[in-house]
Amino acid sequence: MRPLEMAVTVYASLTRHLIRSLLATLGIVLGIAAVVAMLAIGEGGRREALRQIESQGVDNIILRSVKPVEGNSQQTTRSFTQRYGITQRDFDHIRNIFENVRLLVPVMDTRRDIFVGQQTTDIEAIATVPEFLEVTRCRLVDRRSRFLRATDGQVMDPVCVVGVKAARRLFGHQDPFGQSVVIGNVSFRVVGLMESPGSGRLAGQYEFNNVICVPIEIIRALWGGIRVQMRRGTAEQVDYDFLYLSVKETGAIPGTAGRLRTYLRSVHAQADYEVQVPYELLQSARKTQRIFTIVMTSIAAISLLVGGIGIMNIMLANIFERTREIGVRRALGARKRDILWQFLSESVLLTSIGGALGVGLGIATAAVAETVSRMGGDAGLKAVVTSESLLVALAVSVITGITFGTHPAWKAAQLDPLTALRHE
Amino acid sequence: MLSRANNPEPFQAPRGQLSGADQVSGTGAQPLIELCGLSKTYEAGGVHIAALRPTDLVVQRGAFLTVMGPSGSGKSTLLNLFGLLIRPTSGVYRLEGRTVSDLNDDSTSAVRCSLIGMVFQSFNLLSHLTILENVCVPMQYAGVPRARMRKRAKELLAQFGLEGRDGSRPMQLSGGQCQRVAIARALANDPSVILADEPTGNLDEKTGQEVLTIFQELHRSGKTIIMVTHNPVYRQYATQSVTIHDGKVTEG
Repeated sequence: MRPLEMAVTVYASLTRHLIRSLLATLGIVLGIAAVVAMLAIGEGGRREALRQIESQGVDNIILRSVKPVEGNSQQTTRSFTQRYGITQRDFDHIRNIFENVRLLVPVMDTRRDIFVGQQTTDIEAIATVPEFLEVTRCRLVDRRSRFLRATDGQVMDPVCVVGVKAARRLFGHQDPFGQSVVIGNVSFRVVGLMESPGSGRLAGQYEFNNVICVPIEIIRALWGGIRVQMRRGTAEQVDYDFLYLSVKETGAIPGTAGRLRTYLRSVHAQADYEVQVPYELLQSARKTQRIFTIVMTSIAAISLLVGGIGIMNIMLANIFERTREIGVRRALGARKRDILWQFLSESVLLTSIGGALGVGLGIATAAVAETVSRMGGDAGLKAVVTSESLLVALAVSVITGITFGTHPAWKAAQLDPLTALRHE
Repeated sequence: MLSRANNPEPFQAPRGQLSGADQVSGTGAQPLIELCGLSKTYEAGGVHIAALRPTDLVVQRGAFLTVMGPSGSGKSTLLNLFGLLIRPTSGVYRLEGRTVSDLNDDSTSAVRCSLIGMVFQSFNLLSHLTILENVCVPMQYAGVPRARMRKRAKELLAQFGLEGRDGSRPMQLSGGQCQRVAIARALANDPSVILADEPTGNLDEKTGQEVLTIFQELHRSGKTIIMVTHNPVYRQYATQSVTIHDGKVTEG
């Protein structure tokens, strides 16, 4: 039989019981829809995780000061100063000993509130060096912008560079250039606007677009080690809140991170630091993704197994009901393989229709899940439907049709023509 | 009712399903059908039942053969052997000079498709197809191109007085009309022989007579017809007749 005739025959057979045919595909529809939706949400989550990791710079190692539990602090009679985190000694050691480190960028949190009018904001003021822009992959916005320069610290010029989000909040629609930002009791002049392409965060904490960068030398000159008066006469002192280590070669990252951890363990009595290695997080995220893929594949396999069994049931029932038709076709000249192809094509067409409907439903489900998750105002889920996942879903539905349609079709083809003709 | 003028050119279905060695060429001198010691025995519960005892029979091209006999005598077995729907237990069946009793399943299907047209008592039309599509079914298996197939089917339906009913479903037609569609379907690939299994059995007398007239006209136009019937009256239209009793075939 010619392919066109086969297609017409199959179409006529399926539309004979349209509702039953559609119901038969329900298992496949739901299975494929679940797979497409979960893949879309999973892919969205994976991309977001990778973006966040990559935004910190894959060739960076980030050293972060962590406040230890209070029991470990050196307490005096009525007040105490809690000193913890990365020290100047650590900084000097890394700069002198770690030859693989191309750039070493310190970051200090000024721990000063930034006001808009009388209101405090969550804008953070950080003190850093000119290389900050390079290691964080931030970029300058507006051709008038410049970043901090080494000379700013040398001549004590109180300038600052503001993240785009912070600038919007501080100055609204006004031109931020030349405006002043008060940090503590010092006024800093805005000389640049910066933006993080992926809304990246400083060590996963401060949003780059919502920070103000000032020269570290000025902050040191103003306040020395950062001491903040806290409740009940307590204060804390941290030399550096973050150190960005930009490693010369990606391959050297694990070794450098290992050496760094060994060094820090040897000189820090308590766990008052944290080593973040985006490269390791990336590897970990990829491993997680592989596990996720295996889980998804298992869920898909179960869904499609159930759907496929449904299709097989319907096809077997179809064949029983249409035994006489098979006999008539055989009597009129159909070969076994004509019957086999006819029923196999019906099965594949059923699962393909189910697959196509499932893809549509899956995309819709993912979109609904994304919308619902954002209703609370949070960033929420992000669903990303890739063309690969759609192709895989459709291919899987076709394969399901072949797998679960072969047995019924083979059974139909093996029917004895005369017995089939006499079937009531 | 049957008008050759509507179908001036004999239709030749592609016989691609027959291999080169299997191609059959019709020759006037050769009998169309030869049975040499053909028999069929069924086994049920260890008991062998001879549905057809060894039979020798020759059917010439253009003959109108009636097969008669009481119920259970073996008429249908003989017709099913003619139609290659069952395999003989022993003996040889030659169709157009070629032994067809030992062909494999594919070749048997090809012979059924190209050389044999079947008409059943209960019509056996496919209810979900239109009557045009029903007539097209044998041509689909013969690989006839779609346009040519539909043209041929329309011509056949018109030939049997069903012009303009192409889109009707079998359930919308009377019994006589259904049987005419079935005859049109049997003729679709212009077969060498038409096998009819009590084609008037489900019809009233008047309609049955109309259907028989169609077979007479087909016979006059040169078709070979083998008809199983209970009705002894139909013997008068036959050029050859056999009677079966307990699986034994006797001519006359």
